[in-house]
Amino acid sequence: MASVPQLQRQFIEYTTSLHNEGYLDDQFSQLQKLQDESNPDFVVEVVSLYFEDSEKLLNNLATALQQKSVDYKQVDSHVHQFKGSSSSIGAQRVASVCVHFRNFCEEKNLEGCLRCLQQVKQEYILVRNKLEALFGLEQQILQAGGSIPMME
Amino acid sequence: MTTLVAMAYSAVRRMFDQVSATLSSSGRNHLPSRMRRSRSDVNQDEFRCYSVFVARVAIMVMLAILIGLLTLLTWHFTKVYTRASLNSLAYGLRYELLQRPLLRMWRILNSTVEITTSQVRLSEYVIRKYGKGENQAQQVELYESMRDVTWALFSSRRALNSMSIKYRNGFVQAFQRDLRDKNTYYIYSNLDNYTMVEPYSMNRSSTHQEWNDQMIHGNVSAIWYREPLDPDTGRKTGKQQEIPPDELINIAGISQVPDGAASWHVAVSKFTNSPLLSAALPVWDEDRGSIVAVVGVTTALYSVGQLMKELVDLHGGHIYLTSQKGWLLATSSSTPLLRNSSDGYTLMMAKDSQDEIIQSAAKWLNKTYHHKPPLNHEIHSATATLGHERYYIDSFFLNLTRLPMVGVLCIPRKNIMGKVDAREIKTLFILISASVCILVVGCICIFILTNGVSKEMKLRGDLISHIDARRKAEASSNFKSQFLANMSHELRTPMAAVIGLLDILLCDDSLTNEQYATISQIRRCSTALLRLLNNILDISKVESGKLVLEEAEYDLGKELEGLIDMFSVQCKNRNVEAIIDLSDDMPKVVRGDSGRVVQIFANLISNSIKFTTSGYIILRGWCENLNSFSNNENFFVDQRALWSAYQKKIKRNEKRTCKSDNTMILFFEVEDTGCGIDPSKWESVFESFEQADPSTTRLHGGTGLGLCIVRTLVNKMGGEIRVVKKNGSGTLMQLYLILNTPVDIPRESYRLKFAEHNLKVVLALSGRMSGSIISRWLHKLGVPIWEANEWNELTRILQELFKPTSYTQNLTYEHSEAESLNKEGVKMTVFIIVIDIGMLNISTNIWKEQLNFLDAFTRRTKFAWILNHDTSNTIKIELRRRGHSLMVNGPLYKTKMIQIIDAVIKESRLEQSKKYIDSHERLHMNTKNSNSSEITETNSTGSLQNEETNQENFSVYGVVSNCFPELTEVRSEWGQLTSSRNDNSDCEQETRQADQKVKNGQKALAGLHILLAEDTPILQKVATMMLEQMGAKVVVVGDGVQAVEALNIQKEVENVEKSCEPRPFDLILMDCQMPKMDGYEATEAIRRAERESESHIPIVALTAHAMSSDEAKCLQVGMDAYLTKPIDCKLMVSTILSLTKCRT
Repeated sequence: MASVPQLQRQFIEYTTSLHNEGYLDDQFSQLQKLQDESNPDFVVEVVSLYFEDSEKLLNNLATALQQKSVDYKQVDSHVHQFKGSSSSIGAQRVASVCVHFRNFCEEKNLEGCLRCLQQVKQEYILVRNKLEALFGLEQQILQAGGSIPMME
Repeated sequence: MTTLVAMAYSAVRRMFDQVSATLSSSGRNHLPSRMRRSRSDVNQDEFRCYSVFVARVAIMVMLAILIGLLTLLTWHFTKVYTRASLNSLAYGLRYELLQRPLLRMWRILNSTVEITTSQVRLSEYVIRKYGKGENQAQQVELYESMRDVTWALFSSRRALNSMSIKYRNGFVQAFQRDLRDKNTYYIYSNLDNYTMVEPYSMNRSSTHQEWNDQMIHGNVSAIWYREPLDPDTGRKTGKQQEIPPDELINIAGISQVPDGAASWHVAVSKFTNSPLLSAALPVWDEDRGSIVAVVGVTTALYSVGQLMKELVDLHGGHIYLTSQKGWLLATSSSTPLLRNSSDGYTLMMAKDSQDEIIQSAAKWLNKTYHHKPPLNHEIHSATATLGHERYYIDSFFLNLTRLPMVGVLCIPRKNIMGKVDAREIKTLFILISASVCILVVGCICIFILTNGVSKEMKLRGDLISHIDARRKAEASSNFKSQFLANMSHELRTPMAAVIGLLDILLCDDSLTNEQYATISQIRRCSTALLRLLNNILDISKVESGKLVLEEAEYDLGKELEGLIDMFSVQCKNRNVEAIIDLSDDMPKVVRGDSGRVVQIFANLISNSIKFTTSGYIILRGWCENLNSFSNNENFFVDQRALWSAYQKKIKRNEKRTCKSDNTMILFFEVEDTGCGIDPSKWESVFESFEQADPSTTRLHGGTGLGLCIVRTLVNKMGGEIRVVKKNGSGTLMQLYLILNTPVDIPRESYRLKFAEHNLKVVLALSGRMSGSIISRWLHKLGVPIWEANEWNELTRILQELFKPTSYTQNLTYEHSEAESLNKEGVKMTVFIIVIDIGMLNISTNIWKEQLNFLDAFTRRTKFAWILNHDTSNTIKIELRRRGHSLMVNGPLYKTKMIQIIDAVIKESRLEQSKKYIDSHERLHMNTKNSNSSEITETNSTGSLQNEETNQENFSVYGVVSNCFPELTEVRSEWGQLTSSRNDNSDCEQETRQADQKVKNGQKALAGLHILLAEDTPILQKVATMMLEQMGAKVVVVGDGVQAVEALNIQKEVENVEKSCEPRPFDLILMDCQMPKMDGYEATEAIRRAERESESHIPIVALTAHAMSSDEAKCLQVGMDAYLTKPIDCKLMVSTILSLTKCRT
């Protein structure tokens, strides 16, 4: 088992890379700042809520787009919601794909929508993996008895 | 008539069919033709012409038919009525004409009858008297008396032709008038052969025939004599002549009165050429047993003919009279009535008459009535054609018992109706010609009218197509703007990425020099491209009407100074001075869109920099209160022109400007010493893609969009911009903006403040222009000032000021003496030397010696150093080492000057107090340092210039104070702190408290009760967390319906128990897009409900749409503020506080 400072450094590096690669943005750091002693699992809670919500939304989207006559309004509202939740968690790349998705929705371009759905799914899975990895690191640090370093 | 109506009907019908066909075809063609107008304009025109032509023809035909009908009807009615009346008149005339000869006939007959009857009576009387005559003598006497009587009667009637008596015994007595030779004759037979007895012995019962035949035959051999008589007296005038019996006259015999009654017949005499009417009457004896004699009277019908002639002479035409069998009795013509046959005259039939008219009339009658002339039936015909003329034929009956007669009247039609017919024809002709004229005129009128209409139609069609085209053009331009707006937005994102990536690359150390140069070139290009994109975005935003100006309070001066700071770097590189000169009366805080105002000046200044290679760029600003403009202000040449333009504008929207009292007009000038703009281009430089000189693109680059954006923005803010004439080279742009200022902003009066301290300033600036502006300003404030533009000048001034030999130096000494004397509170002179770093000769090492020189004055003066952006750290460190702590970044402008002066004054105060308590001073310095370092960590200016940053912090707080009430408190306490520093020994403790307070600012929302309406659970969670961390109490609902309900429940509870244990919501955070009921609807519902209770709960919108139009929509439905997702914590807190502040 690695030492706490090493883990901490790893954590910081990982978080920074996430920010740099555009997976996450300031909103996520804001979330992290909101977390304090009274609410130690805040970020995890929110993020898991996000996962649940997103999976539901993605399923909804998939079924909505498989309909014979696609209700673009509904799809649009789903995507809007997904974009909102993604941006409020700081999942920047998901949110940006959502923007394209909505454009296709407006054009009623089924092909584009399906392509975007795939992209969104990919991005979402990516972000989920990254976040899960991050939480894993956090968990390790906590187990090792260290404190989670704050990001600047 | 009916056929005519039918014809007209069919014509009208046909026409209607045609018209309706064209109409329907035009209706059918309408839409498609509109759609393919562009393709077939020619066809369209042809079609239009054709339809006009058809309509014209149709109208003309209708008019023609109408007028024709009118004419025919008029003619018909006039004709019918006149004809009817004329016919009745003609009938009367004809009747009258025919009646008169008939009457005459009647009279002739009557007189004949009368004569005959009286002859009979007289004969009876005479015969009775002499009837018993037995002898010859008596017989002779009887005859003599009979002769006398008969003569008497005969002579009394001139019209009589002859009168005869034939006795039973065959003796004949007769008087005759020969109408040809006007002689009267007496005719008698000789008496020798007659017995006197015989008549009386005759058996009374014997038949008349027997008597008659015997007598006549018996007398065949009797000799007849004739003797001429004097027609008047009846005397014998000549000798008697023997004549053959029955030769001359008709003697009525017994055979003519077979039944003893009177008889009539028409006879023909040898001596007259006219038929004769003869009557015969028997003379009875006393007891009427037997006939003793027969009286015969003959009358010529000549007089009837004569009358007829007279009648037709007047009226024309012919009259003739026939017996019922057709024998011609009398005519109006002079043709003979009798036929001269071998056995003398005989009567002739009317149809054999030599007069053509009478002949043909008789033939016509025969033909018409089939040879059976109807009895007792009068014929009236107006249509008989005799010969070649039309005649009226009328017949009448004269019903005598023995001799029925028929009268026929033929009048040529033209005699009666001739004129009428002629007039009728004339009338018809006139009518027809008149209607033809009307028709022609009408057709011409229609042609002219429809010509106008068709022209108008054509014009209208053109107009419609033009309008269509214009609309299309507008739409396409709009599309273009939209497209540009979208496109540039999309383009900006990748550009930002490109630039970011380039920055990363530039940071890489492993690049070769060439690569580095290339990349930096790329970066420059990218930045330029981005700027262009931004400009296009702005332009298209304005054009598509999406530009909405914000309304927020901001510090205009600070923004502009920041702008100058920014550009000064660029200017310094180009050796151009960037100067800002804002007048003191400029309002500190104005309302408006700071970003756009800054953009205006940024565009103007960058434009100026682009074209200015040396000299200076000045941004001047001054202000006019709308209500108090005085004309004596003649600061700039062309201001009055600008002002008059503005006044014109004011007149136009007087209402709007009068509403807000604290509206300010801010005048600005941007002046440079560049190449200038040709006067002819002064207007056009503000157009899109327009540059004063096309060649400048090559030289200076740029798109020409900058000034266009500027003008649009200025106009949008209610101002105007123009280029004005300038003395010397360069450009002078003047503009004014109308901005609102918050009411009652206190203005610091520097004059007072500076006047308190005995200030003296030495300005040593490398830029001439900025120096002179500052010095002029300070001069106005009453601060003595010396200016130096180069090192040598500065040394001269300093030496003059501080060397004991000079007068000023004496003065200074006096002051210093005074200072030393009045240590308690007397103000001492403060020297400030503001010195540009450019004064030092940095390229060589001389600058250190220069500093050494200045060190000599350090004790007596305060140095303020103006640094450049590229001033190296070593110099800064050196300066600090030498105790020059007061350093500001160039360029120097008023605010910085004020800061410098403030800092100096404070420092001098501190020094003053230091002289009293040394320990205090150190403490104070510590706190000050700690405070300032704490704050300057966040400040980019650096931590070196303590005093200056301290000052800046104050102004920062001043600005922020509007949004952060808590912080305002802090600030005011802070102010108290600093002001009471001098005598405060435990200020350290106090400042710590203040720090804590600042930290507590995070709990800014403590005690607030907030309703959060948000459907996304994640956002719910995040927002709740944020708010709760700030100390607010949050109630979360999932949609708009719930939000409204939550408010209602709360209200009910409030109404029931006044204790108001569940606190009312202070604020609602409302997501705009929610299921069931979205934020807009919910807000509207809440606002409706509030209208009754007259309360107002602040509602803040949360939306993912970051467009200003959404903001407008939010505000329109009644929301108070607007936050975008993802939520920015600080912004949210400030918004919430500003909304709740006014309530609590």
